[in-house]
Amino acid sequence: MRWKLFANLAETAGEREVDVDVEAGATFRDALDALFETHPELREEVTDEEGNLRDHIRVLRNSQNPFVADAGYETTLEAGDELAMFPPVSGG
Amino acid sequence: MSGLSLDPEQLDRYSRHIIMDEVGPEGQQRLLDSRILCLGAGGLGSPVIQYLAAAGVGTIGIADDDVVERSNLQRQVVHGESDIGRPKVDSAADFVAEQNPDVAVERHETRVTSENVEDLVAEYDVVVDGSDNFSTRYLVNDACTLAGVPFSHGAILKFEGQVTTFEAREESPCYRCIFPEAPPAGSVPSCAEAGVLGVLPGTVGCIQATEAVKLAMGYGETLDGRLVLYDAADMTFDTAEIRKNPNCPVCGENPDIGSVHDVEYTDTCAIGD
Repeated sequence: MRWKLFANLAETAGEREVDVDVEAGATFRDALDALFETHPELREEVTDEEGNLRDHIRVLRNSQNPFVADAGYETTLEAGDELAMFPPVSGG
Repeated sequence: MSGLSLDPEQLDRYSRHIIMDEVGPEGQQRLLDSRILCLGAGGLGSPVIQYLAAAGVGTIGIADDDVVERSNLQRQVVHGESDIGRPKVDSAADFVAEQNPDVAVERHETRVTSENVEDLVAEYDVVVDGSDNFSTRYLVNDACTLAGVPFSHGAILKFEGQVTTFEAREESPCYRCIFPEAPPAGSVPSCAEAGVLGVLPGTVGCIQATEAVKLAMGYGETLDGRLVLYDAADMTFDTAEIRKNPNCPVCGENPDIGSVHDVEYTDTCAIGD
């Protein structure tokens, strides 16, 4: 499965797209953990002390927010899901 | 409103609009009758001001308290070398006067704050947010959402842009439905800190101008409910669906924010004690 990272998150990871070894049937949390295993510095930047995503970090599964459209961390992933993570930006 | 009020020069100037069934003389008249506020006359504001003026938006408000600096000129295309040191509202107004005599510019050489934002947005049909900091962005979101004024949101950093439109209708989401609070200071860099590709605000600002023109004409579908994530480096446009958040502090079912005076527009733009 593939993560796409935006803005300073891509900079932290050093790449915009990250392939992770997560099978269909895994949860969104599994895909997050797999991303953080390949990029531990990202975990520090986007999660709080409890390991949950910080308030200003948004995630997408197939263009939808799994915390709004689905079961959040427990969302079951399907083969070919496209995952993304982005922060707000403010420049004008 | 009738196309008959367009004079011969206007029929010529706007002929490529008027010839389209989707616009016609009525649509052009709506543009000429419309009032659009550009918050910021910088990277995003420049192309917005240019295209709104060219399109014949009758009144363009420009709010900015900065003066033109040489480091602006790499991307802020309404300003030129001879404008360095001048207020941006003056430089931008001169550009508009040269481009289209049909357009009246209202200059607001002021910082937009919770003290003046309500009066400011109430005067306009559409607001285009091209500001350069989170505090102003949350202030504009809250003021427009509470007042029911549609607004275009555009924001940029390095090679990337985020752009959407909030129509401020009953079913519309707002910026706080995506990001309830601003990120902690220092967690997301500014363009001054991280840089910005000069042409990037051209692309993002042109999308904002497109949305504002459509809103003013009353034609087409806006980005209401969709956030476009544009990456100039790999030339991709990703779209994120945005749903109205029932727990949104501004537009939700039991909002905590009833006015811009309920919020401290510093740091995370959260609700004051």
